[in-house]
Amino acid sequence: MDYLLHILIVALIYAVFAMSLNLELGYAGLYNFGHVAFFGIGAYTSALLSLAGLPVPLGMACAMVAAGMAGALLCVPALRLTGDFFGIATLVFAEMVRLFFLNERWLTKGPMGLPGIPRPSWVGTGIAAMPMFLVLCLLLTVSVFLLVRWVAVSPFGRALKVVREDEYVAQALGKNVFSLKTRAVVAGSVLAGLAGSLWAHYITYISPGDFTLNETILVLLCVVLGGKGTNWGPVLGAFAVVFFQEALRFLPIPADLGRLIAPLQGMVYGLALILIMLQRPEGVISEYRRSRVC
Amino acid sequence: MAYYAQLVLNGVIAGSIYALFAVGLTLVYGVFRFINFAHGELIAWGAYLVLLFALPPISLPLYLALIPAIAGTVLIGVAQDRFVYRHLLQGHRITLLIASIGVSYFLRNTLRLIWGSDLMTYGIRPVRGIQFAGLSITPTQLLMAGTAVLFLVILFVLLTRTLLGKSLRAVADNMELAAVMGVPMQRVRVTVWVLAALFAGVGGFLLALDTNLEPAMGMTNMIKSFAAVLLGGAGNVWGALLGGLFIGMAENIGVAFFSPGYKDFISFALIFLLLILRPQGIFGVLTGMR
Amino acid sequence: MLRVEQVTKRFGGLTAVDHITLNVGDTGITGLIGPNGSGKTTLFHMITGFYTLDRGRIYFQDRCISGRPPHTISRQGMVRTFQHTRVLPFMTAMDNLLSAAPDQAGERLCSVFFRPGRIRREEEAHRERAKEILEFVHLTPLSHQLAGRLSFGQQKLLEIGRVLMARPRMILLDEPTAGINPTLIRHLVNILRGLTARGIRIFLIEHNMPLVAEICEKVFVMDSGRLIFSGLPAEARQDARVIEAYLGREDRAA
Repeated sequence: MDYLLHILIVALIYAVFAMSLNLELGYAGLYNFGHVAFFGIGAYTSALLSLAGLPVPLGMACAMVAAGMAGALLCVPALRLTGDFFGIATLVFAEMVRLFFLNERWLTKGPMGLPGIPRPSWVGTGIAAMPMFLVLCLLLTVSVFLLVRWVAVSPFGRALKVVREDEYVAQALGKNVFSLKTRAVVAGSVLAGLAGSLWAHYITYISPGDFTLNETILVLLCVVLGGKGTNWGPVLGAFAVVFFQEALRFLPIPADLGRLIAPLQGMVYGLALILIMLQRPEGVISEYRRSRVC
Repeated sequence: MAYYAQLVLNGVIAGSIYALFAVGLTLVYGVFRFINFAHGELIAWGAYLVLLFALPPISLPLYLALIPAIAGTVLIGVAQDRFVYRHLLQGHRITLLIASIGVSYFLRNTLRLIWGSDLMTYGIRPVRGIQFAGLSITPTQLLMAGTAVLFLVILFVLLTRTLLGKSLRAVADNMELAAVMGVPMQRVRVTVWVLAALFAGVGGFLLALDTNLEPAMGMTNMIKSFAAVLLGGAGNVWGALLGGLFIGMAENIGVAFFSPGYKDFISFALIFLLLILRPQGIFGVLTGMR
Repeated sequence: MLRVEQVTKRFGGLTAVDHITLNVGDTGITGLIGPNGSGKTTLFHMITGFYTLDRGRIYFQDRCISGRPPHTISRQGMVRTFQHTRVLPFMTAMDNLLSAAPDQAGERLCSVFFRPGRIRREEEAHRERAKEILEFVHLTPLSHQLAGRLSFGQQKLLEIGRVLMARPRMILLDEPTAGINPTLIRHLVNILRGLTARGIRIFLIEHNMPLVAEICEKVFVMDSGRLIFSGLPAEARQDARVIEAYLGREDRAA
């Protein structure tokens, strides 16, 4: 039972994370492969502030602000690039952020990580806190879902789509492409920061090893598997990926083979990305399912 | 003074290895117009396959183990193209990049599955360096630099003196035009993958002579070679070579000023700096206008 | 209305546009013609801010617009189409138009959250206008169709409709009749005449000489990056340099 709660909480946090990436990747067509950086910045900000004695909700708010500011900072150099160069630049950015976490020991305790991150006081502690934490995650996930959908159908979402489809047309129609993209990245980063801070307060221990390319691959898989540019796709993808990841622990695997599970999972994720790209790049839920065009 | 000279020397040696990685990455970019993220895994597989053939039960000496290991790496490189990239070349470049991230992740985890995540080495005993004008250089370092130079010379001869090399350059210049002019595209594409994998594999082996092997070694080196590629102008082979040397030197000289934990940070930051300073210099922003 | 002064654009060793000076006055329809590769599209890219200028200045309604980014120029009322039709294929015809409405409050994130009422009213107004425009270009029955599924000619019409939606003072059309059938050309001509009646000025690149002679009040002729003629279309057909430019090489002369 507790285990089911755990899976649901992790899936919801990943759903928020995936929706935030979808805002950039799906709606604005910005292939941000360094999204985990903002998840990490959110997690560390929130963890450090609450460890310093700040109330958890305030820490979470600061986490979102910090992640958003980092997003704006990334935009200045990275948005000069398009397509795959932007992707690589963001990926490099995420590695720089991770090295920062790893080396600035005075702040982050480096590879030792930060243990004992408090949960919100009204949620409780230990196992007993799980149901309430689930409620918290559920509330936040639903709010983020509605928020993203609201933005997606607004004129702002439409303008983002124009930028995604054809930047030159967008410019010719008077859209400030740089500004639209920046706002999309900042909004995505803020939500990723929220997901990261939820993660930190749930797991209660974070270290730089939690924010590597692996997490980027996972969240990328959530989005492209579920269907980029759709409202439900990332949520569906997050649940599928998290359930697959956690369900393997139930299989009766001999203890000495246990160390093989993580690499095998990794191989499956890699293979899944390849197969989706080869067979169905639009994901399970297609943005254009009503009428296909070529 | 001698301290800095030593850093420059170390930098040149590291840089010659990065150059091997970067020329392959830039060749693939030049011909297929995409960044093969899985290039790093070719580096790692090259290093690990040598280990496979050098350890029991096969127990070949290192230099003999290199031959089947490189053959294996080349096979992986060609297989990447045959099973994945070839089918995606017509589509969006992002699809290719995501697929190559998938390939990279798959190959890296296969490494972890077989050899585990712990650090490994070839078990070469450290030898005292040869002293020369106040500088110290180990035989391993000499071997690394020597082999790198040898392979780069081979590449130079191949690209400038053979018909295949000339067609390759023609394709990198303008693929459609080259196809119209009767350049054998099939042979060129296979050659590119063979060369990229060969140089990555050899480079991976040389790198592992002096450091450790770990499954994640591919990605860090892929990012460094990407910095070198950007530095030289994407698709430019000789630029990438110089870029590799530069990265190696920047990294080693940087150690004198930053904490060693930030060694990798230098090439990462360099990528960003390049992007800020000459955003359009790398590729035309207005390609695909009209 | 639009004044181009001494503008030059070089690509490597090639001078694509060479010290062009021209003045598009308050004329209904002005044509820009010339053999392929004479620099017409490059000049359009420069006027609309997509290319930077190597030298020279461009004024629109007596305000200097050279060096400005494309979206600023567009917002000042000069909107363009592209040589190859560029509708937004994965959006409906209606959304194609709506996205072109100028100065939308709903494109600012703050208003999306804090002023939903205003945005709803604005959207309704835009929707009404978009319907009128669809009617004007005869695309009403297709308004909810994805733009990518429209025929080539319909896409051309949609593109012109989209330009209209942006409330332009002047529109720049890059080969509006390329590849469409004669019936549609008549339809297009009627639309263009309707636009000039509404006070919108048109500057277009065109290869169809009889059409240019029919609709343009004034033409500029370019050859190898230089301006070789400006004046009435009828005079252009008799001008020795123009004839030489077209006949001197094999090309689609009239």
